[in-house]
Amino acid sequence: MFNSPEATTAARRKYCLLTDDSPNIRKIVRRLLEPLNVEIDEAENGQVALEKCLQRMPDVILLDWNMPVMNGLEFIVALRGLPGGATPRVVFCTSECSVDHIRQAIGSGADDYLIKPFDAAMLRAKLDVLPA
Amino acid sequence: MAVKAAAANTEKGRAVADAVLASLQRYEIAPTPDNYALWYEYHAGQNPGLRRTIDILVFNNSSFDEKTLRDLKQTYLYAKEEESALRESALKLQNTLQQMVGSAARLAAPSDLRDEVERIRYLVEEVVRESRQLARSVRLLRYEPGESAATIEALENHLARALRDACLDGLTGLANRKAFDSAIHRLAGESMNSGQDLSLLLIDIDHFKQVNDGWGHCAGDAVLCHLAKVLQQSVRGGDHVARYGGEEFSVLLPRTDASSAFAVGENIREALAREPRPDFTPPMASLTVSIGVSCYEAGEPLSDWVRRTDTALYRAKREGRNRVQLA
Repeated sequence: MFNSPEATTAARRKYCLLTDDSPNIRKIVRRLLEPLNVEIDEAENGQVALEKCLQRMPDVILLDWNMPVMNGLEFIVALRGLPGGATPRVVFCTSECSVDHIRQAIGSGADDYLIKPFDAAMLRAKLDVLPA
Repeated sequence: MAVKAAAANTEKGRAVADAVLASLQRYEIAPTPDNYALWYEYHAGQNPGLRRTIDILVFNNSSFDEKTLRDLKQTYLYAKEEESALRESALKLQNTLQQMVGSAARLAAPSDLRDEVERIRYLVEEVVRESRQLARSVRLLRYEPGESAATIEALENHLARALRDACLDGLTGLANRKAFDSAIHRLAGESMNSGQDLSLLLIDIDHFKQVNDGWGHCAGDAVLCHLAKVLQQSVRGGDHVARYGGEEFSVLLPRTDASSAFAVGENIREALAREPRPDFTPPMASLTVSIGVSCYEAGEPLSDWVRRTDTALYRAKREGRNRVQLA
């Protein structure tokens, strides 16, 4: 057997894009993810996030719902239509906790759903499931 | 073979029924026919959308309040092959409700939930009667949708009232523990978004056992109501006061840092000393409280935050009572 290309890239740091218009949330999530050794970038709305995805597709996107310019739902629909846009794991991180919001998120292609206030363990659990 | 298959089916049905009862108890959901049908569908695993959504709600420690349950039913239960699903549910319910009445009595309830179980038992018995009517109207659904909708609506209104009452403490009229759990969740979420402080006070009556033992439970109740009144007079409109359990009360203070929350605690202590007590409270030399205070740190589990506050309260007690202690 020889080393597969996947095996040689296994140690690559995960690239995580925080998309939230609240600077406070971005600061908190950054702090909570610090021990995980992930590469973190930020976007303050869906439009900015989409531009960053076009440059380089993240491994995981943490996504707020209500944002100016382009909200989370509009973002994920646009993302999934991009070439390679099916690969990032998209986790909604929002205060919206109604059944209808969850249904819409999952229906639009979100992989998971985290409701604020989340804690460090809940957040990390959502990133731990990423394939190495 | 057929007998064996039927036996296996019964066995599986019983396992699902047990899981449903366990979930209703665990998430403090009223054992009504439609709640039972909803969780039956979840545990039977035939409805992936429902399963996914409930799993998400469970992971996030969401409370299964009346609105959430109604939305789940409307989104995943009634929409799906409406008539046959309803008919099936009605049949399942007929078979299981009687069994539930018995099971509700056997639920291992903490002592402060005993009244709640009694209330739920009454509710279940009432719902058993109503569900028979409902089952009849479901059979007629195709022909009399108007009447059926009215029956369902009446049942829903009745339950909404019962569930609203279930969020209030019967003695003091304050929010109860369940309402506190949902308020702390909502306010901590807001605090996380805005970056504004959120503080918690846990307040415990000093030597309350002596009041109860020396003057009886009526005197104890009067003291609890008196403190509830003082608390409500000492907080702002957006603050959330609850009877946390027994002689312990909680106050959630949005947009308040730890030192301001400490000052609110001191105000409560002073107001209690100042406020004339009603005649029917026992003639104790003094009625005082110990208070633990702490501020939410975004990213910590809510249970850790409450525990920190409780530890501060314990320190206030240990250091002589009648004082406010910062975590």
